[in-house]
Amino acid sequence: MSIKKISGCIGCGTCVKSCPTDVIRLSPKDGKAYIAYPEDCQICHLCRMYCPVDAITIEPEKSIPVMISWG
Amino acid sequence: MSDKSDKGMSRRQFLGLTGGVVGAAALASIGFKYRGTKNERKIDPENMNYKENETDILVIGGGMTGLFAAVKGHDAGAKVLMVSKGRLGSSGQTPFAKGIFSYDAATASVSLDEFTEQVSSSALKTNNPVFTRQMAEHSKARVDELREWGFFDSPLYYDSFSKPINERNISVMERIMITHLIKENGKIAGAAGFSIDEPTIHIFKAKSVILCTGAGGFKPNGFPICDLTHDGSVMAYKIGAKITGKEWNDGHGGSMDNPAACYDGWHGMFAMSPSKTGVEIHHDLGVDINYRAYVLGNPVSMMPGGDNTIVEGGPYVPEKFVRNREAGAPPGGGNGDKMGPPPGAEAGDRPSGPPPGGEEGRGPGMAAGASSGGASAGMAIHKSEGLVPINEKGESNIPGLYAAGDALGSYMAGAIYTQVGSSLAGSAVQGTIASEAAAEYCQKAVLQNIPSSKISRIKEEILAPLKRDSGYSPAWVTQILQGVMIPNFVIYIKKESILKAALAYVEELRDHHSPMLRAADLHELRLAHETENMIVNAEMKLKASLMRKESRCSHYRLDYPDVDYKNWQAWINIYKGSDGEMKFVKQPFDSWPV
Repeated sequence: MSIKKISGCIGCGTCVKSCPTDVIRLSPKDGKAYIAYPEDCQICHLCRMYCPVDAITIEPEKSIPVMISWG
Repeated sequence: MSDKSDKGMSRRQFLGLTGGVVGAAALASIGFKYRGTKNERKIDPENMNYKENETDILVIGGGMTGLFAAVKGHDAGAKVLMVSKGRLGSSGQTPFAKGIFSYDAATASVSLDEFTEQVSSSALKTNNPVFTRQMAEHSKARVDELREWGFFDSPLYYDSFSKPINERNISVMERIMITHLIKENGKIAGAAGFSIDEPTIHIFKAKSVILCTGAGGFKPNGFPICDLTHDGSVMAYKIGAKITGKEWNDGHGGSMDNPAACYDGWHGMFAMSPSKTGVEIHHDLGVDINYRAYVLGNPVSMMPGGDNTIVEGGPYVPEKFVRNREAGAPPGGGNGDKMGPPPGAEAGDRPSGPPPGGEEGRGPGMAAGASSGGASAGMAIHKSEGLVPINEKGESNIPGLYAAGDALGSYMAGAIYTQVGSSLAGSAVQGTIASEAAAEYCQKAVLQNIPSSKISRIKEEILAPLKRDSGYSPAWVTQILQGVMIPNFVIYIKKESILKAALAYVEELRDHHSPMLRAADLHELRLAHETENMIVNAEMKLKASLMRKESRCSHYRLDYPDVDYKNWQAWINIYKGSDGEMKFVKQPFDSWPV
């Protein structure tokens, strides 16, 4: 699933800002980044490249929920 | 019970059925959250913060165009505020553009006049030669400034873009989506939008606004434009600006392996530092490859070893620019694409001659493996769509409102991809020129008063999707729109019957679904407004494509396959009529609007 894992986050928030499609947010609980909207990931890797501690893992495939009825 | 056989179906029912199948098949790798339940809000729309901001020049967008618009407007003496949906240098298409054209009169093989003429020749006169020449003439000066800021030293642009902004102490507000432009007394008065991080509505009062909002698409897989939804053009259209270029198509392909993975499909180019390009004029990224895919079926390949089957018919390509399929190599010794020049021996210089045969030498969609067309669906050739300029400064027909870069329909390159690397250079050049003009405009302009009743109405429109208890999720409406618009027989290989059928769908989405878009949080609120903008763009694309009864450059009609030199030496401009209807008018090539 596109952006897959954030491990070793230092909570700097750079990935949140760097994502063009607003996929990542900082958790109000621990201040660490988490994947909030994975379905909007365009797999561009900007978050990974901007991350100062290489905490982000991304995979090339994208799986999705089944399309159901009427929105 | 009514007759359920094929014969008993209405045309509309039949189209509905086929459209649904197409949608499901074409979009198998696009995700969305299904929200069939009541809108479970995480934001209270009745309890939003409200902030007003004032400036001389409001720059909307933080890419290459916005950077130069902010810096040069400031240097020309204006107070500048930049607002961006994303982060400076990390949103829109700028982060992924790795080649920038630099014309050096001292060493160039052709004169400026010859360069302009060659572009016009490839573009079949669809280019505006004033903008073509302007881009080349000023490109080196902008590239030299970028070098000074450290642009060529890193694959990531935030630091180099921040340098001139910080040195000048220019205000930047990030992660704010602008949804409205505001016009008062016939002049631009500002803009409005909302933060995607905190529940705050922002009103910006400005003497001048420069749209540096880029272009857009239908959030297609495999191309990094999923944050670009023609926001600038649509909000400008709504206040009376003229829009052009909607019949043209960018013809980028994408990899069929992991088709949603932009990074992988572009073979690591995103991780490379940018470099310069020299004169290299093509007739690329039109619909020729998509025509092959339509006739022969997938996969298609532009690379050596690809299928060399001769396909009859298809888009006209001027003799001089025909791609040499026999040799299997793209023309001009380049990689046949606009992006991805490999790094040169010196930082910032692209080596001459053909690129190395390795992965790095390939452009997007040019993998050794199979590729498919339509990766950038919804987007036209760079700078061939957007606001109609009334002069070489990127001024619109609304006083004080300017556009530059991919938000401006300057036809700098024409309706086909001509000069490699000119997109990024043109953005820098146009951002500069528009902002210097805006700064001059500001010297005589005053801030317009915006009535509180109008601000109240805008707030309501911004928050409407949050306030709906039921409705349609933007992700689902977007997916339906993609199913209607992305197939190659709709906006690539066009014919009247299908364009009309697709238009019936889009008008349904416009009239019924746009007003019922719902959002539970600020992320979804952004998606809701983006979806609405994409629906307007779809209507423009279909209607302009129906109107242009010929084929030329990146617009191809199966039912009108030839270039019509008699009736169609003209661009199509779109504007909102006094009755609210979308109107279309021809503007002869090489002229300015009357």
